[in-house]
Amino acid sequence: MSLLEVKGLTVRFGGLVALDGVDVALGEGETLGVIGPNGSGKTTLFNTLTGLYAAAAGEVLFLGQRLSGLETHAIARRGIARTFQSSRLCLELSVFDNILIGMHAHRRTGLLDSLLRRDRLRSEMSQAIERAAHLLSLFNPALPRRGLERVGQLPQIDRRRVEICRALASQPRLVLLDEPSAGMSPEETAQLMKDLQIVREEMPGLSVMVIEHDMFVIEGVSQRVVALSYGRKIAEGSFAAVSARDEVREAYLGGEAARA
Amino acid sequence: MLLVWLAEAVVFALIVAGILAERPLALAAAGVAIVVAGALLRFVAPLRSALVCAFALHPTAALLGGAALALVLPLALRSSPYWTFVATLALLYVTIGQGLNLQIGTAGVINLAGAAFAGLGGYSVGLLTVGAGWPSWLAVAAAPWVAVAVGALLFVPILKTRGHYLALVTIAFVFIFNILMNNLEFTGGPQGIKNIPTLRLGGYAFTARPTLGVVELPAHANFYYAALATAFLATGILRRLHDSWLGLALNTLRDDEIAARCCGVSIAREKLIAFSIGNFFIGLGGALYAVMVGFVSPPDFDFGYSLIMLSVIIIGGVDSIGGVVLGACLLVPLPERFRFLHEYRLLLYGLVIVVMLLFRPRGLWPAGIRRYR
Amino acid sequence: MPPLELLLQQTLNGVMLGVMYALIAVGFTLFFGVLDVIHFSHGDIFMLGAFVGLSTLLGLAVVGLRTPLLALPPAFAVAVLVTGLVGVGAERVCVKPLARSSPLMTLLATLSLGLVLRESVLIFYPRGADPKPFPQLLPAGGFEVGGVAVRYENLTILAIGFAAMIGVDLVIRRTRMGAAIRAVAQDPEAAQMMGVNLDRTVDATFFLGSGLAAVAGMLSGFYYGEIHFIMGITGGVIGFSAAAIGGLGNVYGAIVGGLLFGVLQTTAAALIPRGSEFRDVVAFAVVMLFLIFKPSGILGEKSVERV
Repeated sequence: MSLLEVKGLTVRFGGLVALDGVDVALGEGETLGVIGPNGSGKTTLFNTLTGLYAAAAGEVLFLGQRLSGLETHAIARRGIARTFQSSRLCLELSVFDNILIGMHAHRRTGLLDSLLRRDRLRSEMSQAIERAAHLLSLFNPALPRRGLERVGQLPQIDRRRVEICRALASQPRLVLLDEPSAGMSPEETAQLMKDLQIVREEMPGLSVMVIEHDMFVIEGVSQRVVALSYGRKIAEGSFAAVSARDEVREAYLGGEAARA
Repeated sequence: MLLVWLAEAVVFALIVAGILAERPLALAAAGVAIVVAGALLRFVAPLRSALVCAFALHPTAALLGGAALALVLPLALRSSPYWTFVATLALLYVTIGQGLNLQIGTAGVINLAGAAFAGLGGYSVGLLTVGAGWPSWLAVAAAPWVAVAVGALLFVPILKTRGHYLALVTIAFVFIFNILMNNLEFTGGPQGIKNIPTLRLGGYAFTARPTLGVVELPAHANFYYAALATAFLATGILRRLHDSWLGLALNTLRDDEIAARCCGVSIAREKLIAFSIGNFFIGLGGALYAVMVGFVSPPDFDFGYSLIMLSVIIIGGVDSIGGVVLGACLLVPLPERFRFLHEYRLLLYGLVIVVMLLFRPRGLWPAGIRRYR
Repeated sequence: MPPLELLLQQTLNGVMLGVMYALIAVGFTLFFGVLDVIHFSHGDIFMLGAFVGLSTLLGLAVVGLRTPLLALPPAFAVAVLVTGLVGVGAERVCVKPLARSSPLMTLLATLSLGLVLRESVLIFYPRGADPKPFPQLLPAGGFEVGGVAVRYENLTILAIGFAAMIGVDLVIRRTRMGAAIRAVAQDPEAAQMMGVNLDRTVDATFFLGSGLAAVAGMLSGFYYGEIHFIMGITGGVIGFSAAAIGGLGNVYGAIVGGLLFGVLQTTAAALIPRGSEFRDVVAFAVVMLFLIFKPSGILGEKSVERV
């Protein structure tokens, strides 16, 4: 059984069909690249999977259970975490806080513990911070020391790492990475590819879906690739096979360029 | 540790001197002393860093010292019941401010109906004692729950609207509350409810003047201690909640709801918890106010008071627990000290807030990094 | 009075009030359009407009200009000009500098600025705490149509109000500045790239909106016969409510919202027991319901949340 099964997923905004009968399946431990030109529905796919948008038709099965109708936070608790194209960190909060919120769903202490049994909360929090520090150190050994600084003081690449750590902190089964290399220099993108490799190695059972414009990243990290265009899936397979398809080249380059 | 206590004693002495100085010369001397102390702190870097260091090293000592001084304040003010009253009021604003800060500062739920929720607390005490004949202490214990329950009316708007729209909903709520209180029969209309019996515990009336051996404390001293205990408790509870999963979740959803939802935070649950806890403390402040002054009327709880409560938070520091205490202790007594400025009080409030927002938007005591201690 | 006629009468009265609300609401909606902010001191700008108008009328009376035709045009002109400039000042001081920070900041800053304006009138206007009688310069008398009493004074207020709205509509649709305002409302960055001067456009918008509020303030003076320094609180809340009902950012929505709020108030006053006391409870309750169930307003576009 595959971890995630998307069948005939259709999303409409008024008259616009943003996703049109998309089928995607993803196995445990697999990394799937999602490519397609701007406006082809990649981010819409992620937003629908996480329950931010409602699907007009089709269904999403995760671990064999239907996700449709569930609220975003409930879906997150079932084990789907994500990052965003333009970073959605809380810049005023500390690095640790931004990662700890990822563990919120797994918290074991409640309001009364926070008030009356403070030691329980404290020990849970110190464990959580340790875990956050461990995650950070996977990517950049210098980061844990900056855990109590505000995220806004970190450089762009480290912020992206914090966001990935936040997603990983929830111990997800599936992580959706929405264009992790957006706004990065070539060197930073290379760094990021290494980071994604680390994730693969450290968490072999984790499935990943990654949207990318940078084909080197897609080629480097994904085992399989799905190409979208105008909300439809136009190709699926290995990177080499998908990128060689005429439809894909056409979608990216426009009709004439592909014929030329 | 000694340095901490010395510093606190100096601050205490300056405050008492500032409050009690009556003659122009004494007042000028107290003013100069305060300015000099402030300037020393601002411009003598070694002194400042030594103090910061000492306070950071001995937080418990600082807290104990502060508590001890707060306890002896009525003793120092015994010549002036009026100032004991003002100090009590400031402490009530601490309680109210902590509640409101959880809503506005921590959760970003812009509640401009603070006056209405304080009013709900106050009016509940009035109705339960004068109307239903309950003992005051029971009414005070029940009143905050009324504020929480009526606050449930706003649950749907809180979840469905945000930002400016939520501000408008809560403003509309204050207006509705005020019109109703002004026009309903059973709330006494514009006259409000008079002769609310004072707090009594085991036959001991809080209006009595307590004596400490040979020293007689000022008239409002009992209420001062009640308000001090409440403010202390409220601050402690809110500090613990702030440094917990709740505070973290609220801060996150305040800054980015979508990110919070994608991390598994139920926006509805957390926001409603924060809103209700906040209303509890705002209502509690209002209830204590009602038993202290003995009457409630609509103008005590109009929109202007929502703005004053709000300024406590802004001046102190949005989302800052310590800031609320500082804000309330500055904002409530200062205009009373400068009675000749009394007419200009609201004008100055407004100007100070605008200036703060423009030049020091994080307040006098900015919120720090959460450490879960 | 038979119910139908009562209802018609109340609707007419509601439209009267509604015109004033609409004039305030247009300001709210324009400001929101160009800067995405709610300018909470706008209600006090409205109050200020009434006081400037009153002072001008009193000044004109001193120099002998007492006839309506001679006194009204300069009074309106001065009120619009002075209030418009105060509005621009308010924007420069505490709206624009905070436009990039969180909405909470602008909200608080403009609320506080409103407090400052209000208290300034209270303290610095001679005997500012008292209600001020407003000179009654509009034509008296009236007639009756089918049981509905129509007063000339009210007709004049309606005429001035609608003239002001049409004027604004023309400015926005037909002038270069209007085109700039529309462009900035759509997309400030694109507008700037097309050569629109953002600062000047924002200034112009605040001048326009605040000027309209001054007109509303004077009309309110003529309607009620007196003005008071606290009139801006309710005026502002109602104006904002009207703009929100209509759909923030949409000028026609603000007008519809204003008229609706006025009619709502007067019909509520007529229909429920002790209505004159509780009419605002009804009106505000309806506003709350509106914000909950149709937060984008009657004519507003539904905003899709960008992720």
